[in-house]
Amino acid sequence: MSRYEITVGIECHVQLSTKTKLFSEVDNDARGKEPNSCVSPVDYALPGMLPRLNGEAIKFAIRAGKAMNCEINPNSRFDRKHYFYPDSPKGYQITQFYHPIIGAGYIELPDGTKIRIEHAHLEGDAGKLTHFSNYSLVDLNRVDTPLIEIVSMPDIHSAKQAHDYCKELWRAMVYAGVTNGDLYNGNMRFDVNISLAPEGSDKLGTRAEIKNLNSFRSVEHAVEYEYERQSKLLDKGEKIKQETRGWSDATGKTTPQRSKEEAQDYRYMPEPDLPPIRLSKKFIEEEAAKLPTTPKQYREKFKNIIANDTLEILLDYKPLMEKLAELKEKSVARVSNLFTSVLLAEEKSVEMLNSLPTATQLSELCEMTEKKELSSTASKEVFLRFFDPDMKQKTARDIAKELNLLQENDLSALEKIVDGVLANPATKQAQEDFKAGQEKVIGFLVGQVMKASQGKANPSSAQEILRQKLKN
Amino acid sequence: MDTSDKQIEHLAKLSDFSLSEKDSKSLGKDLESIINYISQLDELDTKDVEPTYQVFEMENVWRDDEIIPQEATREELLALSKEQEDNQIKIPKVL
Repeated sequence: MSRYEITVGIECHVQLSTKTKLFSEVDNDARGKEPNSCVSPVDYALPGMLPRLNGEAIKFAIRAGKAMNCEINPNSRFDRKHYFYPDSPKGYQITQFYHPIIGAGYIELPDGTKIRIEHAHLEGDAGKLTHFSNYSLVDLNRVDTPLIEIVSMPDIHSAKQAHDYCKELWRAMVYAGVTNGDLYNGNMRFDVNISLAPEGSDKLGTRAEIKNLNSFRSVEHAVEYEYERQSKLLDKGEKIKQETRGWSDATGKTTPQRSKEEAQDYRYMPEPDLPPIRLSKKFIEEEAAKLPTTPKQYREKFKNIIANDTLEILLDYKPLMEKLAELKEKSVARVSNLFTSVLLAEEKSVEMLNSLPTATQLSELCEMTEKKELSSTASKEVFLRFFDPDMKQKTARDIAKELNLLQENDLSALEKIVDGVLANPATKQAQEDFKAGQEKVIGFLVGQVMKASQGKANPSSAQEILRQKLKN
Repeated sequence: MDTSDKQIEHLAKLSDFSLSEKDSKSLGKDLESIINYISQLDELDTKDVEPTYQVFEMENVWRDDEIIPQEATREELLALSKEQEDNQIKIPKVL
């Protein structure tokens, strides 16, 4: 079998989380709302209705652009892209074909690879269709939700890299605070172009486009599948057809799709209802300065404190990174471990991250653990109670007291308990065995001290005292 | 300029119109005369002229990101469509 080099380009649509839509003063957040309840006459494209541009979307676009290391174009404008389909009552989409707001930039993957961004533009989303046996229903809630479409250069050369690019792009947008980033609800959708060329060839092969993928995993699997499919065809000397294909998570396959419009002819023209956007350098700089801490900056900040693998997992949770950044450096490692071992291991973890403990609660917990007032098991126990609605208002110390988890560090008290254990005839044999050189027996004796202290003794202190006493 | 039947057919298809041969012929004629009329502009040399995107010379016409309650209700808007079901617009099946 001959070998081919794969080249992938990705277009990503990101729904912006502005309060209102791009061109009308209607609620942009239709999650959990009735169909056609977030719709205005403008969205219906009734005769005479005019779009009114949402200034916040411009600001979001600047921030999104900066999060991708992109140039922001001082001059941009809108165009009409015509197509006839019931998801768009206007009969065209308002987009930026000739003069997009966001220029060239790049996304840097965790391994340092840079994937270049060709440009990104603002546009309105389309409505949602639901198909039944012999009719379709139209919900216009999503019409003109602001989108930015991000177009990558063909710099991606493996399924894994395609996955990593999408994930890093998602992180960049979520950390920039421009989208809710809920993939399940279609806040980010990926169109993936895949072509194969013989290794070493300087020409790209014919591409297939897989539209509307909504998870990183589907992107990765679709690219893998296309590599296999196209290699087999090329091996047989067949040609790749340039076409749009759909991906099914259920079958793990791509299949040819009937296109929205067989003859694609969008008849772009300048949008006459929207005056152009002209941004001063000062305005751009002011908006760019509002970009919150980026994933890259968090990596830099925590690279010597949190293990790389752990950090890459935690980076998926922006509120968690913000919380870690509030803590003193010496608490960060312990708290990140607690989150990794206790929360992220459980299914429900993601929802729990919606209401995180305060920095004060976490810092106190760390201090108590460090001073050995809490064993590591007990500290996990207290940590979990921070998410318990009945206890989450309490301090680490109050919770520890309430659950009787404080370790006995008072050495004189501990000594008394040890004396009690040693005076107990049931430990006589063990004491003799230890003195005769059976090291392992110390575990049994420590166990007896723990039992006598109802689990509150600090085991290492207990062992120390035991050894001292048995030496004499 | 020749506005052939083929172009009319193409435009009709893009807009999902069905046109009788007679309509197609007369539309073609109308379009042709409109385009011929506009084509007089081709006589001008526009080589170094910026395209006119808009005639009002306005820029940065933005609004605040505030939700404004709509006067038109969902029911009123839905009632404008031919058929409805479950608060959605019902249309012939499309793919």
